[in-house]
Amino acid sequence: MKIGIYFCNCGSNIADKISSAAVIEAARSFPDQPFVNILDFICSEDGRLRFEESLKSEQPDRVVVAACSPRDHEATFRRCMTAAGMNPYLLQMVNIREQVAWVTEDPQVATDKAIRAIRGAVGRVRLQQPLERKQLEVCPDALVIGAGPAGMKAALSLAEAGRSVVLVERTPFIGGLPVRFEELFPALECAPCMLEPLMGDLLHGDCAGRIELMTMAELVEVTGFYGNFIAKIRQKPRQVSLHDCIGCGECAAACPATTMNGFNSSASERKAIDFAFAGVLPNAPFLLEGVCVRSKGEDCRACKDACPMGADVINLEEVETVVERRIGSIILATGAGLYDAAHVPGMGLGSLPDVYDALQFERMLSSTGPTSGEIMTANGSAPASVAIIHCVGSLDEDHNPYCSGICCQYAFKFNHLISAKLPDTIITHYHRELTVPGKEAHTLFQQAVQNTNTCLKRYERITDLAVSLADDGRLQVSAHGELEPADLVILCPAVIPAAGADSLSALLDVSRDSSGFFRELHGRLDAAQSTIKGVYLAGACQGPMDIQKAMLAGMASVGHTLAGLQPGRIIEIEPITAEVDETRCAGCRLCISVCPYHAITFDTEQNRSRVNAVLCHGCGTCVTACPAGAINGHHFTNAQIMAEIEGVLK
Amino acid sequence: MTESNGFEPKIIGFFCNWCSYAGADKAGGMQQAYPPNVQVIRVMCSGRVDPQFILSALVKGADGVIVLACHPGDCHYKEGNCRALQRHRLLLLMLEQLGIEKERCRLDYVSAGEGEKFNRVIHEMVAAVRTLGPLMPLPEHDSHTIRSDAPMSSVAAP
Ligand SMILES: Cc1cc2nc3c(=O)[nH]c(=O)nc-3n(C[C@H](O)[C@H](O)[C@H](O)COP(=O)(O)OP(=O)(O)OC[C@H]3O[C@@H](n4cnc5c(N)ncnc54)[C@H](O)[C@@H]3O)c2cc1C
Ligand code: FES
Repeated sequence: MKIGIYFCNCGSNIADKISSAAVIEAARSFPDQPFVNILDFICSEDGRLRFEESLKSEQPDRVVVAACSPRDHEATFRRCMTAAGMNPYLLQMVNIREQVAWVTEDPQVATDKAIRAIRGAVGRVRLQQPLERKQLEVCPDALVIGAGPAGMKAALSLAEAGRSVVLVERTPFIGGLPVRFEELFPALECAPCMLEPLMGDLLHGDCAGRIELMTMAELVEVTGFYGNFIAKIRQKPRQVSLHDCIGCGECAAACPATTMNGFNSSASERKAIDFAFAGVLPNAPFLLEGVCVRSKGEDCRACKDACPMGADVINLEEVETVVERRIGSIILATGAGLYDAAHVPGMGLGSLPDVYDALQFERMLSSTGPTSGEIMTANGSAPASVAIIHCVGSLDEDHNPYCSGICCQYAFKFNHLISAKLPDTIITHYHRELTVPGKEAHTLFQQAVQNTNTCLKRYERITDLAVSLADDGRLQVSAHGELEPADLVILCPAVIPAAGADSLSALLDVSRDSSGFFRELHGRLDAAQSTIKGVYLAGACQGPMDIQKAMLAGMASVGHTLAGLQPGRIIEIEPITAEVDETRCAGCRLCISVCPYHAITFDTEQNRSRVNAVLCHGCGTCVTACPAGAINGHHFTNAQIMAEIEGVLK
Repeated sequence: MTESNGFEPKIIGFFCNWCSYAGADKAGGMQQAYPPNVQVIRVMCSGRVDPQFILSALVKGADGVIVLACHPGDCHYKEGNCRALQRHRLLLLMLEQLGIEKERCRLDYVSAGEGEKFNRVIHEMVAAVRTLGPLMPLPEHDSHTIRSDAPMSSVAAP
């Protein structure tokens, strides 16, 4: 076997400490007596050319480059190998600069250490095998989960770029949390006015044909990998055809069954077949199965008979289905929810009347909400005083350690909206810290501070506060022992991941952080990527954020799909992966249990494990774990590593 | 050196590509010398280090072996370093039975930025093995049981 050692002087960086003459001398006793070629800067343009020319003329079977760190230039030299017509995996680098020349004082000692390392590399490279990068055509389409601001922005932008999108939303409507709101911080923009054009585009715009919206749907299974996922989606029955319904509401009017409307925090009623709220999009009612009198055995067809659009619009026999879609990337935009403030003792949520959390209060403010936008207490009167308690379960080691970042801003939005409707009402903000960052948030804050009927009180710990009923039946807040009446109490609880983030994380194998939000691949460098390649993150599912940031995050996630998955693009798969030698596999499945990427499956017929090379990241953990030695870690085989050990120790 | 008559230990270092090998490069960039006794074998992850590699190194003349991994929680492959820790603990038990001082095998964590820590760990490792002196050759039958193609299941904990 002909082996070439290419020794880089790296100017004086290496030459000062390591004698190339000694390396040439030593190489005579190496296995296969490699030739040694001394170059000055192999990584320079000139050096690369000379390296390539030498490879072409000498035609070695294996190559060792003794130079800088492989982390610097292994890829460079592999490309030279390819350019010279060689398989790039027949190269082994020896790091004689960072790990020898630069850290060893005595040139004699440095030379000796370098020679050992080169001998190890020669021993190893003899056993290296040519490896091929697999090629695979990608699917450019995407699956977006969650139709809040982030998911809608992502889906629409992808469709505008010509991609097909499956948009899966588990509720019967799109819009996410903000469809509950009347007005938005920082500029008190009307929320429906802001969201409706976007939602309209999504449903009926020029690109809507490329968006397959599935409401009342959930992801149930994903197989495959970046560029080639197969998703199974469960479609629950709406019993109303989205395609044919015109949203007239005749069915709801005719429906005999009523229940409390969960969307309005059960503060108003709805029919079994009804809209979630007035103006909902898609503009179609849905049937609550358990509430419909048919579920109690009655043969009621009142809704179907009332429908002016024909007998096919309402299908009372519709059942759940599971559909399969092929996509190249997945965007998680499942958003957030609120921490249950009932977990915070002394706040009175759920046990005292007129105590609301922020989402419930948003509904009270909304013209489509239970009070049609009027701020009132349970007995129907306007509150003379309102307490807004910030940081409920946020910045608190007993609950959630982080600051939710948006609560102060909506609290001052509440301040403005309450003052506008009830100018004489006294508003007290109890806050632990105040967070009003950025160039816009200060306006509402300043307004609150300047409002003579507003008072800001700082507390130290949430346990210093207690909401209770006074003897006269009025609510009161005690802060550090001081009592203040409050006819209405609004709690601003921590923003937490949406319910179900845990099962989605298990299903997709994406990691979550200690607070349960999806973990970014890198919080600064790669905040739109999850820990799984091809699964991206957008919006409040990765941490509390406002609508501006959620929309931006939606766009960022789109960027990854557009940049990485162009139609027709072939992706190359790194061949440094594990492979099971099926003749030696005993079927113990230990490898499956240690693989961090679920890249190994079990063939029950053959009783053998099998590695999916596309999913394998090449860590080699299974190679080491296999008790039968039946797994080969390409490019890091046992034999190669053993040969290197032997070589450096000789 | 004085306490061991100029004995220069041979040590094998298995460094994972992502953190500790990068930490060694970082130490190199700082150009502060450390003892030359550690010959580096790069692996993609500390989870690839088969205890057999370590035993084999000891059989073939190494006086000590150091495995450097990413810090817990930082492994590029999620949990390879946890496997490395499990295997290391078992290996130490085995070394005890073979009468080999546990200081000869060290597992530590060095991040890509910890050039100084790398330098310190190498100093400590070399000093420790130098104090122990040369490793007596392992009994012959042990070196026979170590083949180059199959790991030792008895110590290769999952
Ligand atoms: C009380 C309150 C007031 C606020 N006021 C303002 C304001 O005035 N201005 C402002 O800028 N921001 C405001 N925010 C913040 C704003 O609500 C968020 O920034 C925004 O909702 C984030 O959008 P998103 O798309 O990431 O998530 P979300 O709006 O939460 O949307 C997520 C969507 O995903 C769906 N989903 C969840 N899980 C699944 C699943 N497993 N499968 C399918 N679908 C799923 C949900 O049903 C939802 O439709 C407020 C927040 C709160 C709590
Ligand atoms: S990659 Fe460093 S320990 Fe796994």
